[in-house]
Amino acid sequence: MEFLIVSTMNGVIYGMLLFMVSAGLTLIFGMMGVLNFAHASFYMLGAYFAYTLSGLFNFWVGLIVAPLLVGLIGVLVERYMLRRIHRFGHAHELLLTFGLAFIFEELVKLFYGNYPVNYRMPDSLNFAAFNVFGADYPFYRIFIGLIAVAMFALLLILLTRTRIGLVVRGAERLPQMAQALGHNVPLVFMGVFGTGAALAGLGGAVAGAFFPTNPNMALELGVIVFVVVVVGGLGSLAGSLIASVLIGVFSSFAVGLHWTLAGALSWVGLGGWAEGVGGLLTLPLSSISGTVPFLLMLIVLLVRPAGLMGSKN
Amino acid sequence: MRHALSALAIATGLIAPAIHAEPLKVAIIESLSGSQTSTGRMYSSAARYVLEQMNEQGGYNGEPIQIKDYDNGGNTSGAASQFRQAVADGAHVIIQGSSSAVAGQITEDVRKHNIRNKGNEIVYLNMGGEALELRGDKCHFHAFHLTTTAPMRVGPLVKVMAQEGDLGDRVYSINQAYSWGQDMEQAIKSYADTYDYEVVETVLHEVNRIQDFAPFVAQIQAAKPSSVITGNWSNDLLLLMKAVGDSGLDVTFGTTFLDQVGNVANAGKMALGHYVAHPGNAELNKDPQDAEDYKAFSGHYPVYVEPGTINGIRLFTEALRANDFKGGDIDVNRIALAMEQARLETDIGPVSIRREDHQAIMPVVVSRVEQGVKYPADGTDMGFKPIQVVSPEDAIYPVQESCRMRRPD
Repeated sequence: MEFLIVSTMNGVIYGMLLFMVSAGLTLIFGMMGVLNFAHASFYMLGAYFAYTLSGLFNFWVGLIVAPLLVGLIGVLVERYMLRRIHRFGHAHELLLTFGLAFIFEELVKLFYGNYPVNYRMPDSLNFAAFNVFGADYPFYRIFIGLIAVAMFALLLILLTRTRIGLVVRGAERLPQMAQALGHNVPLVFMGVFGTGAALAGLGGAVAGAFFPTNPNMALELGVIVFVVVVVGGLGSLAGSLIASVLIGVFSSFAVGLHWTLAGALSWVGLGGWAEGVGGLLTLPLSSISGTVPFLLMLIVLLVRPAGLMGSKN
Repeated sequence: MRHALSALAIATGLIAPAIHAEPLKVAIIESLSGSQTSTGRMYSSAARYVLEQMNEQGGYNGEPIQIKDYDNGGNTSGAASQFRQAVADGAHVIIQGSSSAVAGQITEDVRKHNIRNKGNEIVYLNMGGEALELRGDKCHFHAFHLTTTAPMRVGPLVKVMAQEGDLGDRVYSINQAYSWGQDMEQAIKSYADTYDYEVVETVLHEVNRIQDFAPFVAQIQAAKPSSVITGNWSNDLLLLMKAVGDSGLDVTFGTTFLDQVGNVANAGKMALGHYVAHPGNAELNKDPQDAEDYKAFSGHYPVYVEPGTINGIRLFTEALRANDFKGGDIDVNRIALAMEQARLETDIGPVSIRREDHQAIMPVVVSRVEQGVKYPADGTDMGFKPIQVVSPEDAIYPVQESCRMRRPD
C-alpha cells in the first residue's frame, strides 16, 4: 500500500513535469507540422534565464520573465529562420532545429560554463508539504504539479473557448481558407511557436530549481519528451497529458519492482533454467526503469501507430 | 613578398626540428565537447599544468614537450579516430581520463598499434578510467592506470566512515548499471565482513537517464539503511542526494564523486556531513603555493580529478627524468620500464606503479563536507574537510588473475 501511494504520487508529479515540456512540442507539431528538435533547448534556456533573473531580482521574477524571454527567442526563430525554409519541406525544418539544439547547448556552455549552476528554489517554497509513511514529501513537487495543471487548464480554455483559439484551430486545419478569410496565418504560426517555446521555458524555470540546471539538461529530457509526444499522438494536447502521466507512473513503479524474465518463466517451470542462463533473463526491471518509456512507445506504435489520441492514422 | 616571407618561415620551421633533438609528443585525447566536457577539460588542464612546468624547466630531451589536445567527443568512435590522428602526428604518449568506455577503446588501440609497430610504441596513461577490467583482461605493458578503482575507493571510505561512527551497520548500495557500478557494488559487498555491516539492498540503475529519483528514495526508505554508498557521478549523484535530502531521510552518503564541481552548490546545506573518497585534497598540500600556482594556470584551485591527475603526470615526469636520450631518438619502451620503477613522494604519501598490472599504488583521502574549510567549493561556505589519509598499502587490492601482461624482451 505504501509503495502504491508513494509511487503513484511520484509518478504523477514527474508526469506533470514531462507534460509541461511536451505540451509546447505537441502544440507546435499539431499546428505547424514542425518537429522541433530544439524544443528541449527552450526548456534549458528557461532554466538558465530564470537562474540569472532570480540572482538579479528574485525567484518569482525569474519564473514569470524567463518564459517570456524564451517565448521571444521562439518568435525570432520562427520569424527569421523557420519561415524562410518552410517552403523547402520538413527535412530542412528538422535539420534547422536539430542544429539549433547544438548551438543553444554550446552557447549555454559559453556563457554559464560546463558545470551545473546554483539555481535553487526560494526558502519560502522549500518545506515539507506533508509526511507520507515516515518520509517528508517536498512541497515543491506539488508546486510543479499545480503549475502544470494550471497551464493545461489555461491552454485548453484558450484553444477551445476564445476567439484566438478559434482562429488558431482554423489556421491549423485549413491555412489557405483562414488566410482567405483575412486572418494573418504567418502571425498565428509565429504566435504558436513562441507560445510553445514559452511553455517549455516555463517548465525549465520551474523544474530547473528542483533538478540541477546544467548544459546537459536539454539532452537528457529531449529524448523522453519526444517519446511522450509520440505515445500521446502527435499534435494532441490531451494525448500528451495522458502519455506524460502514464510514462511518469510506469517509470516510478518500475523502480520498485524487481521482476525478472526468469521470475516470469518460473510460472511455467523454467525458472531454474532461466536463472542458469542469466544475462537478460535475470536482469531486474528496476535496473532498466529508464527504458520503460521506450517500451511503452514500442507497444503503442505497434498497437496504435497514431498514438493514444492521435487523429490521423 | 609576404608570401615569400611566410614560405621562408614555414621552411625554417620545418627544418628546425630535423636539426634538433626529437621532441616528446604528448597527445591528450579528451572529451572536449559533448556531455562530459567539464570533466574532460579538467584532465586536460591538470596534465598540461605539469607538462608545461617541465617545459619551463627546459623541456625534455633538449626540446619542449609538444602537447596537443584531441577532442574525442566523449565517445569511443571519436576516440578511435582521434587516436589515429595522434598516431599520424607521431605521438609517443597518450593521456586520457574521462570515461572507462573511452579508456577501453584507447587501451586496445594502443595495444594493437604496439604489436604492429615494433620500435614505434606508444604509452597510454589512463588518468580516470576506473573499470577493473582495464587492469584485468585488458591489461598490457604499455598502459598505466594512474587512478583509483572501486575497491581502492570503497575500502578507505567505509573504513573512515566506520571510525567516525557514520557508517552504521545497514548499508544501502545504489550504483549505475555498467562496469563501474558493478565494480562498486562488488566492492561494497566485499568489505561487509571487515567493517561489520550488512548490505541491506543493492540497486543498479541506468546511467544518466533518470530525471526523477524520488521512486528510488521510496525504496531506500523502505530498507531503513544507516548509510548509502554510491559510485554515482554527475546528475545521477546530485539528483539522488537532492531527492534523499528533500525527503528528510537521515542517512549518511559515502560517495566517490561528490567533489565534482557544482555538486556542493546545488545540494546546498544538504551536502553537509557526507563523505567522499578521492585521490587528493588541496587542503593537505604542505605548501599552499602549489594550489595558488595551479589557480594562476587554470583559474581555479585543484579540485575533483585534478589533484590525482597532477600526481599521476608528475610520476610520469619522474619516469621521463630517469631516461636521458641525450638529444637522440626517444625509446618509449625505456620510459615504460622507468614508469615501473618510478616513485613520487607527495604530501599525502608515495605514489608508485605495481609491476604486475600497472595499477598505481597511491594514497586515498577521505573527506567530509563541512563549513569553514580552507578551499570552499563552488563559491559556497562549504567544502571538503580531509578526515583521514589512507596509506597506499592499505588502499591497494590484490592483482586480478585475469591480467596476463606480456613484457618486451
